[in-house]
Amino acid sequence: MAAINSVEQLEAYRRELASAAKPDLPTVLVCFGTGCQANGAIPVAEAFMDMVKEQGLQLNVNIGFKTTGCHGYCENGPLVALRPQDILYLKVKPEDVPEIVEETVKGGRVVERLVYRDKVTDEVVPRYSEIPFYKHQLRIALRHIGTIDPTSIDDYILAGGYAGLAKALAMQPDDIITEVERSGLRGRGGGGFPAGTKWRSCVAVESDVRYVMCNGDEGDPGAFMDRSIMEGDPHAVIEGMIIGAFALGSHQGYIYVRDEYPLAVKNLTAALEAAREKGFLGENILGSGFSFDIKISRGGGAFVCGESSALMRSVGGDVGEPRAKYIRSVERGLYDKPTVLNNVETWANVPEIILKGAEWYASMGTEGSKGTKVFSLVGKVNNTGLVEVPMGISIRELVENIGGGVLGGKKFKAVQTGGPSGGCIPERLADLPIDFDSLTEAGSMMGSGGIIVMDEETCMVDVAKYFIGFLVEESCGKCTPCRDGLPRMLDLLTEITEGRGGEEHVAMLEELCDLLTWGALCGLGTSAANPVLSTIKYFRDEYDAHIRDKKCPAGVCKALITYSIDPEACTGCRLCAKNCPQECISGERKKPHTIDTARCIRCGVCKDVCAYDAVRIS
Amino acid sequence: MEKISVTIDGRTFEAEKDRCVLDVAHENGIYIPSLCYNSEVTSSGGSCRVCLVEAHQGGRMRLVTSCNYPVRKGLEVKTDTPLVRRIRRGVLELLMARVPDSEVILEMAAAEGLTEPRFRKDEGESERYKCIACALCTNVCAEVVGVHAIAMTERGADKKPATPYHKPSEVCIGCGACAYACPTGAITLKERDGVRRIWGRDFEMVRCSVCGTPYIPVAQVDWIVSRTGKDRSFFDKCPDHR
Repeated sequence: MAAINSVEQLEAYRRELASAAKPDLPTVLVCFGTGCQANGAIPVAEAFMDMVKEQGLQLNVNIGFKTTGCHGYCENGPLVALRPQDILYLKVKPEDVPEIVEETVKGGRVVERLVYRDKVTDEVVPRYSEIPFYKHQLRIALRHIGTIDPTSIDDYILAGGYAGLAKALAMQPDDIITEVERSGLRGRGGGGFPAGTKWRSCVAVESDVRYVMCNGDEGDPGAFMDRSIMEGDPHAVIEGMIIGAFALGSHQGYIYVRDEYPLAVKNLTAALEAAREKGFLGENILGSGFSFDIKISRGGGAFVCGESSALMRSVGGDVGEPRAKYIRSVERGLYDKPTVLNNVETWANVPEIILKGAEWYASMGTEGSKGTKVFSLVGKVNNTGLVEVPMGISIRELVENIGGGVLGGKKFKAVQTGGPSGGCIPERLADLPIDFDSLTEAGSMMGSGGIIVMDEETCMVDVAKYFIGFLVEESCGKCTPCRDGLPRMLDLLTEITEGRGGEEHVAMLEELCDLLTWGALCGLGTSAANPVLSTIKYFRDEYDAHIRDKKCPAGVCKALITYSIDPEACTGCRLCAKNCPQECISGERKKPHTIDTARCIRCGVCKDVCAYDAVRIS
Repeated sequence: MEKISVTIDGRTFEAEKDRCVLDVAHENGIYIPSLCYNSEVTSSGGSCRVCLVEAHQGGRMRLVTSCNYPVRKGLEVKTDTPLVRRIRRGVLELLMARVPDSEVILEMAAAEGLTEPRFRKDEGESERYKCIACALCTNVCAEVVGVHAIAMTERGADKKPATPYHKPSEVCIGCGACAYACPTGAITLKERDGVRRIWGRDFEMVRCSVCGTPYIPVAQVDWIVSRTGKDRSFFDKCPDHR
């Protein structure tokens, strides 16, 4: 179809789509996010397509079918949602498809074995919106994901897409910036810098050329909200960027996506093409006289390229290394021109803020952190995945209500937030509201929204060691404190976890943390101390146990633990002996077994396989 | 050029707006140690972190690298506070552990009262030798010489300057500007029998027609001639005999 040349034409086109749509038509939605595809969603979708074709022909029954972006509940994939019944099926296999079509699509009945069953209460919840994981969510950035087909621009327009842009084009650019300022939207990528303030300071700089950029170089371990948005609702990001460009007077935008996100690159590329065809990008957008286009720049996967100045150098064709930001990017950014760089989730919020107004957005969240935030809830928790909640929800609510509590009924110990730049917050502070300022005050940070839940079997020294090890690998090596300080911190942490740490180790770690915080060049270096400082602050007793008693209380650090078998609990089933890679477990059948600790490599296989919980760690 | 006034260690100076703090300080007799910065190379600096100073501006204090922090109105700089000394000492201790053979680093560290680093020394890593990965050599090669024969490679602690694929570079002109600029003397340049060896490549030298001393690589003469159109015969004699 031809390009849409005015706001009126856009609304007419939307009405046309709406009249052709059949909201009551039974529709099967198969999640085609990366997680579900990896879990086998492709054969499931194929089975549905065959069934739809076959049944449609034979019985003259119309069935709608589409593939969608990520629903966030990836551990239970492949996910299949059914509309209008509002049913969600988990872990669907191709062989379940005929039954779903017969029972649910045609018969309106629920296939009980495929629905959510609460791990604690054993309650069966067939309705999508009533599953605890979804019930407490408030989806703005993820508003369309899971309901629209990300490869169809019509689906996006039908769901209200590009209405924010239409409204923005009728506004004064300055008023758009004011609206974003008043909404209180803060950058979702890490630092939480107010988006409106950034835009305002960029327009204040005189220049003939300005750039808007989107940071899709998501790199925190376990975080995947940006990928999910780029894959599942690419037009939301594009629409946000067009609005931003119009407000800032920019004519060229860039989306920096890491190449490890092939589906995001594919869906964004297709979405840009579709937006160009429809006239949302290119010359004279919607007849407004405003012109703007977006290019995709693929990143090679360096963690540091998520840092704004390194990202801009990478887009410009240089090695992705940060520079001193004494002159800010809004003044001198990409190709030395004034540049606004915002994160994927930030851009995805913009169309809704313009459409529904700053008051609406600012009515959610806390005093200093407005709106909602997408978190990737992972670790030792019953329900893992992507969740979007209003800012200010407590850590405990997130872990217990949405996450369904700690896995296996174990004791909740801490959460790690903010990835390698963040820190660990202990259970006793779990009633802390999650917002930018309280997390920073607690010695952690929001970061991109990764939340890793830890239980009593997590060693906090080991956690600090893991993150410092990650940063050693990812340091670009440009400045001395980060390049040479982090490996020394890793040395000290390794020595502590191996029982070779002395009293001076913690003091030296603190000294190095101080050096990084004050002396490193970029934000990654200056925040790299957080995983160490926060664990020393809240879990000093664990450091002391490793150093003074040569013990790892959580039973994780291999050099400090021994495995043994409780003769009372052991039934002599021989399962551990059969699975031991060292063959160092001996004992007669039906009699208690013993472990030869001299040969044991503390791999934990015996503990994992024991059905009687007879393996002890001390 | 707009002039502004800036205060460094309690003394107020007139300076051109946006010049770096370190240059302004040095011109006014205030010493700030540095390694990776050369005032002739605009792309240099910001990496070694030895020249950190306190910058007080707009009611806010930050520790900044004086080699690339622009002087602007109302800026007050402090170069010798307990915080500056503590962080500089920490940076030098890390550098001592990284390149224990570097006399320059040892001397600079000694000035801060350091004799031995408390950390594991990177000994026996001959490839690293005295290199602090500051990138001054690659900046000089790209910006001043304009040939881009070397670039920083690898990342993290392994970061180092190198020619492409660690093979002798075809574009290198053997000028040795990298070795000259290197703050720690980490780049080896050897000359024997009228041949200069640098970055794994041998360069034939032009001998002075008066004293016979080999003084400039032929490749460098070619480069200058092609760039400036200067007469080749100009290079027949060394600077002492022109």
